[in-house]
Amino acid sequence: MSRLSIWLILGATLTFLIGPFLIVIFAGLSAGEALAFPPQGLSLKWYAKVFTVESFRASFALSMFLAIFGTIAALIIGIPAAYALNRYDLPGAETIRTIVAAPIIVPGIIVGLALLRYFVVPLDVTITMALFVTHTALVLPYAVRVVSSSLNNLRADMEEAAVVLGCTRFQAFTKVVLPNIRGGILAAFILGFVTSFNEVPASLFLSGPGVRTLPIDMLSYMEITFDPSVAALSALLAFMSVAIVFAAERLLGFSRYV
Amino acid sequence: MFLNRAEGLALALPAALFTFLVFLVPVGILLSVAFQSGGSWSLQGYVDFFAQPLNQTVFLRTLKLGILVAGTSAVIGYLAAFCIVNLPPSSRGRIFGLVVLPLMISPVARTYAWIVILGRTGIVNDVITGLGLSDTPIRLLFTETAVFIGLLQLFLPLMIISLVSSMENIPKDVVPAARVLGASWFQVFFRVILPLTKEGLVIGGTLVFTGALTAYITPAILGGSKVLMLETLLYQKVNFSNDFVSASVIAMILIVMCFSANLALKRLASAKG
Repeated sequence: MSRLSIWLILGATLTFLIGPFLIVIFAGLSAGEALAFPPQGLSLKWYAKVFTVESFRASFALSMFLAIFGTIAALIIGIPAAYALNRYDLPGAETIRTIVAAPIIVPGIIVGLALLRYFVVPLDVTITMALFVTHTALVLPYAVRVVSSSLNNLRADMEEAAVVLGCTRFQAFTKVVLPNIRGGILAAFILGFVTSFNEVPASLFLSGPGVRTLPIDMLSYMEITFDPSVAALSALLAFMSVAIVFAAERLLGFSRYV
Repeated sequence: MFLNRAEGLALALPAALFTFLVFLVPVGILLSVAFQSGGSWSLQGYVDFFAQPLNQTVFLRTLKLGILVAGTSAVIGYLAAFCIVNLPPSSRGRIFGLVVLPLMISPVARTYAWIVILGRTGIVNDVITGLGLSDTPIRLLFTETAVFIGLLQLFLPLMIISLVSSMENIPKDVVPAARVLGASWFQVFFRVILPLTKEGLVIGGTLVFTGALTAYITPAILGGSKVLMLETLLYQKVNFSNDFVSASVIAMILIVMCFSANLALKRLASAKG
């Protein structure tokens, strides 16, 4: 294939993948009242307005809470599980692996409905708690997978040596294993954070008035108001995600783990 | 390998029990709802569901869009992946990064872009009315085409990534060798590239197909209630008519479709070709 045709094909593909998003960034810069492209005059007013919308602030805080603490909770139960699956001769290891991976396979909207009907309502769980549990379950498979692949690269003799030299098993884990899989844990955290922060289908049924994650709040704002503030907010969130992933890639070669 | 099984189980069980209790049990109960009517087991829920023309239409549309999106992304994916693999190493990483980039951006934001492009006052309609092709804006949103475009843009990167990683394993000289020996590009693709990248195609195809079947945001924003897919239909059944039997049927259909797509494609990949 000639150079020209290679760049034509790649140019067209990338325009299709990224072009629409550049349009969103510019649509948010409009000085006019309605969503349009090209924007009617340039201003930052919609980017500023995003910060003053009360519901956006509340839902941003909730989404941040879920993404951070849901992922930490998933890591707290996920790291020991990944360690056990990697280093122990477990009876039923395959079953445990399948159970933990299940939340990736089941469509999100079914998860949300099932949890609402048969977990939240019967046990009288609060909405925030229900969202927290759901996001933890959804992030757990990623946490186990990424930490597992990082444990695979760490030879087990190192811990055995530590134990022979007088460490307890727990000390061998905290002093030898943990420092060596730090990068994998951080990669798992970032992947979990982005997954949780962008999650919609599973949170849909679990969101009530006043308690909504940010993407769902944006969806319902869009249904009522047709102004460029959602475009501005979309652009800001994209910058945030891309900046986090980019920083992670620069700092620790994130893509090695995913 | 440590041999203390009790210790290993104690470490693994919290995660497994957590997922089992708060995840698998509720989903299992939801799926069983459709098999019960009046206290006994029956398939009446399924019979009633498929008896309604709207449900049939939505089911077939979801299947059709899933196949179309997976097929189209395979065609574009092969072209793009072949180009990426043939780039000089310096630009390859950068271009690959640009393909991965959209995956980091919220699907809500990515789908929202199509409103700006396809809406009544969007770019496409500006061009159409500007050129005088039509006096009034054309309805482009809330059509199957809009949902198709949105889904394709959402899931195409997954196909390209899978194909690139399996094409990178093809030895450099294979394609030029086939060409020198007189194979047409058509033959090169079907006799050389396709058999060697079958695994990547299967992984990408499964990801795109199941992704398209189970997407909620795209059909909700770009299809609305005019172009329902199974996910948006499920939402309506629950929120507007409290019909949990239908919701349970849809849930089962989605799960069965995803699993059988997985199995069928795996079978296809291991078959001799």
